Amino acid sequence: MKIKTSKSMIAFQSIACVLLTFGAVICVLPFGIILSGSLTDDAIIIKEGYSILPKGFTFEAYKTIFKVPGEILQAYKMTIFYTAVGTSLGLMMITMTSYVISRKEFKYRDQVSFLIYFTTLFGGGLIPWYLMYANVLNMKGTTFPIWFPGLMSPFLIILMRTFISESVPDAITESAKLDGAGHLTIFGRIILPVLGPGLATVGLFLALGYWNDWYRSSMFSTSQETWELQFYLYNLLNAAASIKQMAMNADIAMADIPTQSMKLAMAVVVTGPVLLFYPFVQRYFVSGITVGAVKG
Amino acid sequence: MEERMERKIWGRKTGIWISATVSALAFILSLPFVAWVRLVNISALFPEIGISREMAADLYQSYSVFNLLDFVQKGNQGKLGLYAMILLMLLLASWYFNLSYLWKVIRNKKRKNGDLDLYAGGRLSMSFTLLLAGAGLGFVAFSNHSFGRKGFSASPVIYLLAVLAAAAYAVIKMMEKKERELYHEHGLVKEIRKNWILFLMLVPMFIYFLINSYLPMVGVYYAFTSFNFRDGLWASPFVGMKNFEFLMKGDLFRLTKNTILYNIAFILLGNVLQVFFAVLVSQTAGKWFKKVSQTLMFMPYFVSFVLLRVLVYNLFEYDYGLINNIVTSLGGERIDFYNTPAYWPFLIVAFNLWKGIGYGMVVYLASIMGIDGELYEAARVDGANIFHQIRYITLPLLKPTFIILLLYSLGGIMKGQFELFYQMVGNNGVLYNVTDIIDTYVYRITMTQPLSIGLGTAAGLYQSVFGFVLVVGINWLIKRKNSQYALF
Repeated sequence: MKIKTSKSMIAFQSIACVLLTFGAVICVLPFGIILSGSLTDDAIIIKEGYSILPKGFTFEAYKTIFKVPGEILQAYKMTIFYTAVGTSLGLMMITMTSYVISRKEFKYRDQVSFLIYFTTLFGGGLIPWYLMYANVLNMKGTTFPIWFPGLMSPFLIILMRTFISESVPDAITESAKLDGAGHLTIFGRIILPVLGPGLATVGLFLALGYWNDWYRSSMFSTSQETWELQFYLYNLLNAAASIKQMAMNADIAMADIPTQSMKLAMAVVVTGPVLLFYPFVQRYFVSGITVGAVKG
Repeated sequence: MEERMERKIWGRKTGIWISATVSALAFILSLPFVAWVRLVNISALFPEIGISREMAADLYQSYSVFNLLDFVQKGNQGKLGLYAMILLMLLLASWYFNLSYLWKVIRNKKRKNGDLDLYAGGRLSMSFTLLLAGAGLGFVAFSNHSFGRKGFSASPVIYLLAVLAAAAYAVIKMMEKKERELYHEHGLVKEIRKNWILFLMLVPMFIYFLINSYLPMVGVYYAFTSFNFRDGLWASPFVGMKNFEFLMKGDLFRLTKNTILYNIAFILLGNVLQVFFAVLVSQTAGKWFKKVSQTLMFMPYFVSFVLLRVLVYNLFEYDYGLINNIVTSLGGERIDFYNTPAYWPFLIVAFNLWKGIGYGMVVYLASIMGIDGELYEAARVDGANIFHQIRYITLPLLKPTFIILLLYSLGGIMKGQFELFYQMVGNNGVLYNVTDIIDTYVYRITMTQPLSIGLGTAAGLYQSVFGFVLVVGINWLIKRKNSQYALF
């Protein structure tokens, strides 16, 4: 009996091992391909195409990017600005809102929650939303419509509310209230100090959203100065394609720009920070998803 | 004491019946056959506002709230359209509140706080009736102002309703005050005074959702207009359901089909794959191996869709792409992915799975962690091997989570994964037939065809309404089957 069990265990473990390794490789390999492509000699890419391991190892692409770093530094600066402003402001707004709707004594908590939740059920659609910022507020070309729409989301508000009600039992706030503490005291002195993991989780979700956004720049930026980093990368991909097209049409040799590997190098530069932080912050996302999934 | 209670109840009843009568009247007086707005001095007015004699033949002497939009359309008065639309929305809201108030009065269900619920309903319905009457008067004033002369007059019905509603409101308010004293309750004003800090803390949230969600909802009006630059956003002609008819004849079916079929594939395959890998990870022995493989599979979730674009280009490009590179080195012919629609449904689904697997795994792993370890212990004692344990313990216990997640995502089946589709396909028209979803269609209109914004808004509104009906329907089903899983 015992032998049989361990036999099936061995079988399962080896299958699981193979499949998980396979899954992990599929998930990570693409990053490796991009990295290796960015380190490959551009001439080799054009002659032989991309490969899994770099051929003709060179930093040429990175050197080219940073030869004239003005544009990418500007995009980096703007993205850091959007991320910092959006994350801090959004975190503040989300925490305050979640605190209020987690108060049992607040008479209108159901109505307020519904007001927030309803936005996930029905919306006016993309065009009225776009026209709101572009024509009604007349903010096209400014930075406002790029950071403002990402400040809050019903999911994050509900997530934060769950964190609040889980980290501070009602009994504690009740007794604080009996001792004469007002809402500001309860919020600032009791809730916030123990809300660290919740703040980190929601803040990271916000920051990731800002860092990876390209869409709002594509709609509201009128000059390259306000571009987000991802949108800069997006444009570089298209521009490079059009450069190639032009060169082909005119039947002239491409200039000495390593077009292909440069795109990949740029992708590495843009994504690098996320992947560098990723191992350290991953657990916060895991806890956020877990908490959010439990409460729906 | 007894007498006072009697008196209270007597006053209560009369008050409720008065307001209920007003509610019923408000409903009847706003039915389509009651005229609210009259055209005065038509012949003098027409040349002023650009209505020709042929158009005049289609117009009436007077209008109810219902056919005001008809006047806007046939009289070509685009600038009145948005207001007429808002009036119609208010009318529907006032109907809803008045009828539900009447229903409450008839049912006469007692709660633990007496008739306070009833009063709240009455107050709401009266304020909406008042608001509607006010908006009706405002409409007359607004249109006279925008024509620059007296072209409309308000029918006495509006004044009557306004007076009645105000009176009934006052009566309800009075009774509510007494009743509140009885039950030690208080209203919004006192709540604000008591908890003003809480309300202050909500202000940023209100502003955010107002700008980002609620005000844009008014903009669905564009779905019924045909935009042109001369008249601008606010005065472009109102065309009724023409945009929807145009969509029906053209792209709507294909867009809906693509949106729904892709989402079904994402949801079904995604959840199955996520459960599969979650079970593998949870039962794997090596702790380190467990952690590393989960971390690595979660990675794609963190990168932007622009990076996905780089990746897809890198893999499938005709000249340099890795796949073609491998194919040619094996002696095959190059594959022209970017010009062959047949590949893309598979590619899009594959990359969606790739990006979402880590996230879903976390959800299912959390659910697996919640399973009581003693169950496995007992099963092992009874001689169940690992496959039996998975088959008879893990999977059955995951079933509720699986079904709930499936149902939730089915509610969002009309919402397309815009970023995925746009970054993978971009503006590659060759592939539109198989890759165009409602979201990409609307985005294209927004960015490149300002003259079609009516059409784009119509498509968006269709998507919103369809999606809304789906979510509410599915929620209703869940509620009936198992109310603890209901969303709302």
